Order: sequence, then structure tokens, then C-alpha cells
Amino acid sequence: MEYLYYIAIGIMMFSACGNAIGESNICVHAIDNMGRNPEMYSKLRTTMILGCALVETTAIYCLLVSILLIFVK
Amino acid sequence: MFLLVFEKITVAERLSEIFTFKFVPQTFIALLIMLVILIFSIIIGVKVKKAKFTDKPRGLLLIGLLYYQAMEKFTLSIMSYKYRGFTKYMMVICPYLFICFTIGLTGLPSPVVYLATPLALALTTFGFVHGTAIRENKWGYFKRYVEPFPVFLPINLISMWAPTLALTFRLFGNAVSGYCIMNLVYYGLEGLSDVFFGSAFSGAIGIQSIWIAPLVTPFLHLYFDLFSGFIQTLVFSMLTLIFVAQEQSEEDENQVIEEVVS
Repeated sequence: MEYLYYIAIGIMMFSACGNAIGESNICVHAIDNMGRNPEMYSKLRTTMILGCALVETTAIYCLLVSILLIFVK
Repeated sequence: MFLLVFEKITVAERLSEIFTFKFVPQTFIALLIMLVILIFSIIIGVKVKKAKFTDKPRGLLLIGLLYYQAMEKFTLSIMSYKYRGFTKYMMVICPYLFICFTIGLTGLPSPVVYLATPLALALTTFGFVHGTAIRENKWGYFKRYVEPFPVFLPINLISMWAPTLALTFRLFGNAVSGYCIMNLVYYGLEGLSDVFFGSAFSGAIGIQSIWIAPLVTPFLHLYFDLFSGFIQTLVFSMLTLIFVAQEQSEEDENQVIEEVVS
């Protein structure tokens, strides 16, 4: 039954798909608005990085659980 | 797998494990960082008390004042002017977290990889949030647990802990994933170096495996330690500010003007 762990890890890392879509949405809208009003550039960049870091957490939870499944047995 | 681990240890043993003081290296490093920040704070505090307001600030005093101004600006961007005293906490927690993340560069073990450090930081935030709520609402604080109906009490009690858990695992997950990836890269590059230089340094033990890693890993350290540490510090401090600011009352415009005038 050892191989079931690896299948579980593989399925778990599919969450990266959703995460990537979410992060790309943030970037697209930030760049759109940077082009529209360039004087807001620095503020938008800070908020974009902050939002990306917040969205990234879901993927990091999955990575953490995967690492635990691989190494902690 | 996890169930098997739990079966071996009884509940009483697990509880006693939490309360016994185990001295791991990470505890020592966390205390060391705290000591460094404390010494800097005391030196700057003594300098501020000695300084005359007619003189120009210079040296360490100037750095301290600029740092205070920057942190106050950061705090006031989220909180109202009435609660500017919260700057003191931000002035301690930001350098502490950033040094905790970047101390891995010196070769010492990073305290954030040890679950107790992020948990303690998140519990501090929890204490601030609920302390502020009790101070603002007095007995009305307990009303939030029976809203909208008293049936929701267990759900509200569970959801009370959700932000703390999220804060803990955000910090811990970032630190541990970076740490694991770095260790895997070091391990792989050691093997690669063995393949290339194994025959050249056959006499010396271990020396053949240190030649490739220093060329590749600095860029990864730049991302996983410095950039990730900075972003996570920013996220943690900003989330703390937002959670605490949610509980604070709205302020009067007149009161602010009075405070500024006086």
C-alpha cells in the first residue's frame, strides 16, 4: 500500500493549478491598472506582491502536507 | 500513518510532552535574537532620554528616529491616529521576524522552522485581538459568540481559532518549504560534485562534494531567505494590524483635531 501515498501527493499538488490561476488574475489586473494610471505604480506593486503572498498560502499548505507525507512516516 | 503515531503515545504523555521544557537549538537562537533587539532598544532609549531637543540627532539616534517614523507611518496606514501606540509592538515584531528568517544565512538553525516560534507569534496576535475587543466592548464582547442565534455557539468557538491557525501555518509552511527545498538542492549538488571531482580528490574525505553548490545556491538563498523572509514579515505584520484594527472603534473627527492641537 506504499504507492498510495505517492498517488495522494500527486493529487494534492493539483491545487497548484487553482493557485496559479488566482495569482495570474492578480497580476493581470495589477498590470492593467498600472498601464492605466502609471503614477500609482509603486502602490500597486506593493499590493500585488502582498496579494500574491496571501494567495500563495494555499499552495504552501499543500506543499507542507506533501513534504510531511514523503518524509514523516 | 499519522493515526499510528498517535496510537503509540497516550494523551497524558502527549500533554506532558508539551509542558516539559526541551532545550532545542532553535530556542537558544530565538532568545539570542531577542537579546540583540533588546540591547539595541535599550541603547537607543538611553540616547533618546539624554538627547536635547535643540541638537541635531546623529548616529544611532538618527537611525532610531527614522525607523520610528517609518513604522508609525506603516501603522497609521491601517489604524486610526488614536491607536498609534501600537507602533511599539510593530517596531519589535518586524525586525524579530526578519532576523529569524535570515539567520539561516549564517549557518545557525532558523527558529521559524521550529513550530513553537510561529505559534507563539500567532498567539500574541490572538491575545492582542481579543484584548482589544474586550477593552472596547466590555461585556458586549461575549455577544459575538451567540450571534445570530445561540445555536451557533460551537461554530463560533471554532472559528475563533481559525485566524491563529492560518497565521501559524503561513509562517511555518513558508519557512519549512524553503528549508526542505534548499536541503534537497544541497544534497543533489553534493552527489553531482562527487561524480565530477570524485577521482581528483580521492584521498581526502568529503572535500570532493563541496565544489558545485556554492555556485548555484546563493541565488536560491536570495529568494528563499531574503525575499521570502521580507514578504512574510510584511504579510504577518500587516495581517496583525488588520485583525487588531477590525476590533477598534471608529474615532471622532473632533477628537483627532483636539489631540493634534494639544
